[in-house]
Amino acid sequence: MSGTLRPVLLLCALPAAFFVAFFLAPMAVVLIASLTTAAGQPTFAHYLRILADTYHWDVLWVTFRIGALTTLVCVLIGYPLAWYLVRIVKWRPWRRFCVILLVVPLFTSNIVRSFGWMVLLGRNGLVNDGLIGLGLIERPMRFLGTELGILIGLVYILLPFIVLAVGNALAKVDPALEHASADLGATPAGTFRTIIFPLSLPGLMAGAVMVFMLAVSAYVTPALLSGGRITVFSMLIFQQYSSVFDFNYGGALSITMLVLTLALVAIAGRLSEPRRA
Amino acid sequence: MVSALVRIVSFAALAYLALPLVVLVGASLTTTSFLAFPPQGLTLAWYGKMLGDPSYVSAFLISTLLAVAATIVAVLLAVPAAIAIARYRFTGRGLLSETLMSPLILPHVVLGAALLQYGSAIGLVRSFPALLVGHVVIIMPFVLRAVLPQLSEDQRSLEEASADLGARPLTTFFLVTLPQIRSGLVSGAIFAFIASWINVELSIFNTTAELTTIPVKLFNYVQYTIDPTIAAVSGLTIIVAAVVIVLLDLTIGLDVLSERRR
Repeated sequence: MSGTLRPVLLLCALPAAFFVAFFLAPMAVVLIASLTTAAGQPTFAHYLRILADTYHWDVLWVTFRIGALTTLVCVLIGYPLAWYLVRIVKWRPWRRFCVILLVVPLFTSNIVRSFGWMVLLGRNGLVNDGLIGLGLIERPMRFLGTELGILIGLVYILLPFIVLAVGNALAKVDPALEHASADLGATPAGTFRTIIFPLSLPGLMAGAVMVFMLAVSAYVTPALLSGGRITVFSMLIFQQYSSVFDFNYGGALSITMLVLTLALVAIAGRLSEPRRA
Repeated sequence: MVSALVRIVSFAALAYLALPLVVLVGASLTTTSFLAFPPQGLTLAWYGKMLGDPSYVSAFLISTLLAVAATIVAVLLAVPAAIAIARYRFTGRGLLSETLMSPLILPHVVLGAALLQYGSAIGLVRSFPALLVGHVVIIMPFVLRAVLPQLSEDQRSLEEASADLGARPLTTFFLVTLPQIRSGLVSGAIFAFIASWINVELSIFNTTAELTTIPVKLFNYVQYTIDPTIAAVSGLTIIVAAVVIVLLDLTIGLDVLSERRR
C-alpha cells in the first residue's frame, strides 16, 4: 500500500494535526486534569466528590428529566408536522414557506431565540395575556424560572432537527409499497403501523438522539430561561471555569457529562437498530 | 379525523416556530423605551441606536470576520481530508473520519472549557486565534458531512482520465473534482458559517469586553437589561438569517421534504 501512503499523508497531515492540536489534546488535558490534584498528584477525589454530593445527583436528574421531556415533546409535535409537510401539503410554495420557517430558527442564535421566549413568557408577556384573554387562567402564570419555561424554549430550539430528520425519512418511503399494502387489503392505519412507521423509525431515532444530546448539553437556553432558579449540568461546568476557577473539578464534571451523554446515545443507537425478522 | 388532528398540531407548531421571531422583529420597531408587542408606533430608531454604538458594530464585525475566517480554514482542511477518506483505503481511515465528525456530538460547553484550559497552558487564550481554532473544530464536520457524499466512486474514472492526459493532481482537482462537489461544498460552507456566527457556548470562554462576538454580547447583556436595542440586534440577526435562507432556497433549493417523484 506504499502507493497510497504519500497522497494520504499529503491530504490528511494538516487536518489531522489540527485536530490533534486543538481537539484531542485539549480533551486529553481535561481528562488528565480531572484525574489529578491542583498540585499534579493522581487522584479520584473529584469524581468521588461528584458521586458523594447529592446536589450533583439532583442537578443531573433535573438535566436529564428536562432532556427526556424535551425529546418526548419534540417527537409528539415533530412527527405530525413532518407528516403534514411531506404527505398532506400539496401546494409547493406553501411547503417551501414552511421549510423556510423551519430553518430560519436554526440559523438564528440560541440566544436570540431564547430571548424571544423571555419576552413572550414574562409576567406581562403575550403568552400570559393570551391565556388570561381566553379565560384559561385568572392571574399571570410564572414561566420564567420554571422547568416548563425551559422546556418551551428547548423544544422550540430543537423541534426543527426532528422534523427534518423524520421528514427526510418519510419522503424516501416508496409510494409503491403503500399501494401494494392497500391492494392487499390493509387499512390506512394498518399500512402506517406496519410499513410507513417502521421505515421512518431510523430517521425518528436519529432525530430524537440529536435532540436529546443537544437538550442535555444546552447551556444558553436554560441559563436565560431559568432566571437563576434552576441549575442544569452545563451551568455547573461553566461556573467552575468562569468563576470558581477549579479546572480539575470542572474537568471531572465535563468528563462526567460527556460519558453520560455518550452512553445514553449509544444505548439509544443500539435500541434503534432495525430488528431482523 | 386523524388528518384533521395532524393539521391542527402542524398549524400550532408552525405558529409556535414563527412566534418568537415575529415578536422580536415587531418589538424592535416600537417607539416605547421598553419592549412592547404589538409595537406601539413604528420606528427604526433602535436600529439607528444600535448602529451608532461602536461596541455593537465591532461585535458584528468580529463575528463576521471570525465566521469567514473559520469557514475558510475549515474548508481548506475538510476538503483534502474528505478526498483522502473517499478515495483511499488506509489504516486509521475510520478513526480519522470519526474523529473529524465527533465535534458534532460533543457538548460545546465541554469543548469550550477544554480549549480554555489547554489554551491557558500554551498561551492561546482570549484572542482572535483562540476563538478561531475552536470555531474551526466545531464547524469542520458540517463541511465534511456535506462534501463526503458527493465524492462518488464513478468520478474516479474521470480523475484517472485527467491524470492519464497529463494533468497534475491539483489541476485535476480544480478542473474535474471541484465542479462535481461544488453544491455540497457551498451548502456545507454556509452551514459552517452559520454555526460559527451563532455560537455562544464555545466563544464565551474566550471573549473579553473588547473582543466579543455578537451572540456573546447579547447573552451577557440580556441577563441584566432588556430594552428595544437588544430586540433590534436580535431582529437584525433574524433578518440576516431569513435572507440567507431565501437565497439558499433560490440557489441550491431547500425543498428537501418533497416526496420522490414516481
